[in-house]
Amino acid sequence: MNTHVLEKAPAPPAALPPANDQQEEQQRVKLAKNGDLEAYDELVRRYQERIYATIYHMTANHEDANDLAQDTFIKAYQALKSFKGDSSFFTWVYRIAVNKTINFLKQRKNKTHMSLNDLDFNAEHDADLVALISEKTPRREVNLIELQEKLNVAMQKLSEVHRLVVTLHDVQGLSHEEIGKIMDCNTGTVRSRLFYARQQLQAYLSDYLK
Amino acid sequence: MNPSPEQFDRLRQLLALKRYEQPPPRFFNHFSDKVIARIETEGLVMRTSLWGRLFPDLDAKPVLACVYGLVITGLLVIGLGVSQSLESEESNAPTLDTPWFAQTPGPAFKLPPTAPVVRSLSEQTDSTSSVIPAFPGTAPRFLFDVNQLKVERASYSVR
Repeated sequence: MNTHVLEKAPAPPAALPPANDQQEEQQRVKLAKNGDLEAYDELVRRYQERIYATIYHMTANHEDANDLAQDTFIKAYQALKSFKGDSSFFTWVYRIAVNKTINFLKQRKNKTHMSLNDLDFNAEHDADLVALISEKTPRREVNLIELQEKLNVAMQKLSEVHRLVVTLHDVQGLSHEEIGKIMDCNTGTVRSRLFYARQQLQAYLSDYLK
Repeated sequence: MNPSPEQFDRLRQLLALKRYEQPPPRFFNHFSDKVIARIETEGLVMRTSLWGRLFPDLDAKPVLACVYGLVITGLLVIGLGVSQSLESEESNAPTLDTPWFAQTPGPAFKLPPTAPVVRSLSEQTDSTSSVIPAFPGTAPRFLFDVNQLKVERASYSVR
């Protein structure tokens, strides 16, 4: 008998840091601008997981995500002098990461090679996922790893901007407003792109969503 | 077309699977170290000028730069005004004909009555040398005869 406790999917990481953290962040940005590498190291640690995850979900390749995430933080350091603080540091770094990733994907076109990360052990205990693969899915033999591959293949079929919107909203949990700032477009555009991307995905994954 | 929230519920549940995709264990332990190491090896470390370190806000806040500029201009104007007032005071001050020491209180020590009188600068202008001895002739005796010592011949008797 399976005694594992079924859990909900992990909550997406908090998008923006709290207000007091923002002040501390501004202080760190100021120090980093003056050449303090320790302060910049703190900023990298704060956002490394989110930046890496966004790039990874866009590329479906761990090695590429690793390289691009490093390049993003190096590029951000080089451009730090030009950061005026009009937006949060978080939004600004995200924008750099997104631009780098989209440029990379355009160059890599038709040379997709997936190198997927392992699923966290807790995925087996996710109530929604277990229900999805064991009850409603016509292909009952499907397992989580197969589902992961199908999902990533479907994601790769989307255009870069549509994949990005789905990644930022449905996987990363960012709001429409934050995505609008990152992608430099209004929330209406974000909503319509999200709707279209979900429709596409639903069509690609119809066998697993009936 | 207005999407209903329930329309994509199952898709969103499926997309949640992607949150479980994790990089190798301890991947993030050294991630920032690698970034910092690359910044250092590629020679990208920012060197700020002394000015930048003293006034780090100037780049980000042009208003502060204006304030600094105004303060410095104000100080220059004040300095100019003070120097002009000093010049006008100097024009009313005694000339070289009446030496400055003539106006100050008497010297800390009393010259002996035999000491020669110091000549005024105007009396010395005819001299060809810029180094004018304050005491003409030989050195005054009082400088080396503070304790009124007298030189006497010494005689020794050898037994």
